[in-house]
Amino acid sequence: MARVTGLGSFVVITLLVLAGLRSVHLAVPIAFPETRPGPIAIDTLDDVRRVVGFAPVIPAYHPAALGALPTRITGILSPSAMVTIVWQTPEAYLSVTTRRDRSRPTASPLAVPLADRPDASWWFEGSRAHALVARDGLWIEVETSLGEQELRRFVDTLSHY
Amino acid sequence: MTPPPWLSTLASYLGQVTLHSVVMGVIFYAWAHRVRLPSGRTKRHLLALLLVLPPITAAIPGRATVEFGERLAWLNSARLLAVPLPGGLHLIHLLLAVAVAFTALTIWQEVIPSFERVDRSAAAAPSSLVALARALPGWEHCAVSVSPGPATMLVTTGVPGRPRLVISRGALRTLTVPQLDVAIRHEHAHWIGGRWWWSHALFAIRLLQSGNPVALWVFREYCLEIEIDCDAIAATGPNVAVLARVLLTVYQDTGPRDMATRHALRRRVDVLLGGGPANAALPAATVLAASGIMLVVLPWLV
Repeated sequence: MARVTGLGSFVVITLLVLAGLRSVHLAVPIAFPETRPGPIAIDTLDDVRRVVGFAPVIPAYHPAALGALPTRITGILSPSAMVTIVWQTPEAYLSVTTRRDRSRPTASPLAVPLADRPDASWWFEGSRAHALVARDGLWIEVETSLGEQELRRFVDTLSHY
Repeated sequence: MTPPPWLSTLASYLGQVTLHSVVMGVIFYAWAHRVRLPSGRTKRHLLALLLVLPPITAAIPGRATVEFGERLAWLNSARLLAVPLPGGLHLIHLLLAVAVAFTALTIWQEVIPSFERVDRSAAAAPSSLVALARALPGWEHCAVSVSPGPATMLVTTGVPGRPRLVISRGALRTLTVPQLDVAIRHEHAHWIGGRWWWSHALFAIRLLQSGNPVALWVFREYCLEIEIDCDAIAATGPNVAVLARVLLTVYQDTGPRDMATRHALRRRVDVLLGGGPANAALPAATVLAASGIMLVVLPWLV
């Protein structure tokens, strides 16, 4: 069998270089937060603040048809931080996107103010109802397949997780 | 105008090749320094691996997604490239400028000279010189000519089966017959043992990495190692001193501003007079194991 000599120093050097690269990988987003792009799949709602830097806004009202846990949670950090949380079953769909951005997200030209809610507008796009809400310096977009009444309940019960 | 999608894919691939090349170059350089790796076969193999492995590891699919870079990769270079610089620029702009500069340098110093190498004004060589060259195995049909330059120079051009040896008039004037013999043997060594094919294959791979400073340095080191290898083949026993004298003559003909060539000639003389290259500095199994480690590690850097 062929001898392997002189590999120990190679392994040590490789480990040192890899440790240095990992440090750079972790340190750069701390020093320059805008360098981390996304989308990043987030495992649980508890992890959202750690990844995107703010707590997500979700509706307290939660019909059983949506299922208990989110189907997926996706974070994006650049150009502006945002998180999209989706609940999806064969019967129902709800997504809530929270965006920390100074500029207003694009809404449909058909959007109209939501009754008794000056901070929100809503519209239909196909079979899905949409609402755009401004709250605490965040833009929150709600999209659901459950219709206008349920959309209203979602918007009325939005709060920080 | 929007660039075509293949252009951004190619640019991204070449960026990954450069990243892997830089990381591997740092590791191999530190390792070679640590084990005091001498000139020889092991060093040539490591330099060749430095050119060949990064294009392979950078081509491994499934690594281009942001998801991979952010959640699975050990290093996501996108973070580094996005580091802001003054004037609204980012680090990627600086690195692109470096890549463009090195591409221009490659075209100027390596691509254009490879087309200009054959001196069209070369005249027929003396029959004794032709006989000297054609006596070497595989060079029975070698074309030999004399270029009018005053500097001491011997070069070969052509392709396997149709080699061409060009000797300058300056070399004919300054070198003795034994010196010409050993110098021609050195040139002949470039054409045996697969060296011509390896050098040209690696040159093609190196051209793919034109914007990569590490590839430029590695290929030049590889060429120097090939020269050292050919020196060892051409000169044994008393011929060592003869070839060393030839190299010193070329050194004296080289202007002091051409520091790279003078440095390379000094290295060749040092190795030649120091007993020749060490061809088994490290076991082949060690080099294989190091390559295997790089093949496993590099794909996790994106």
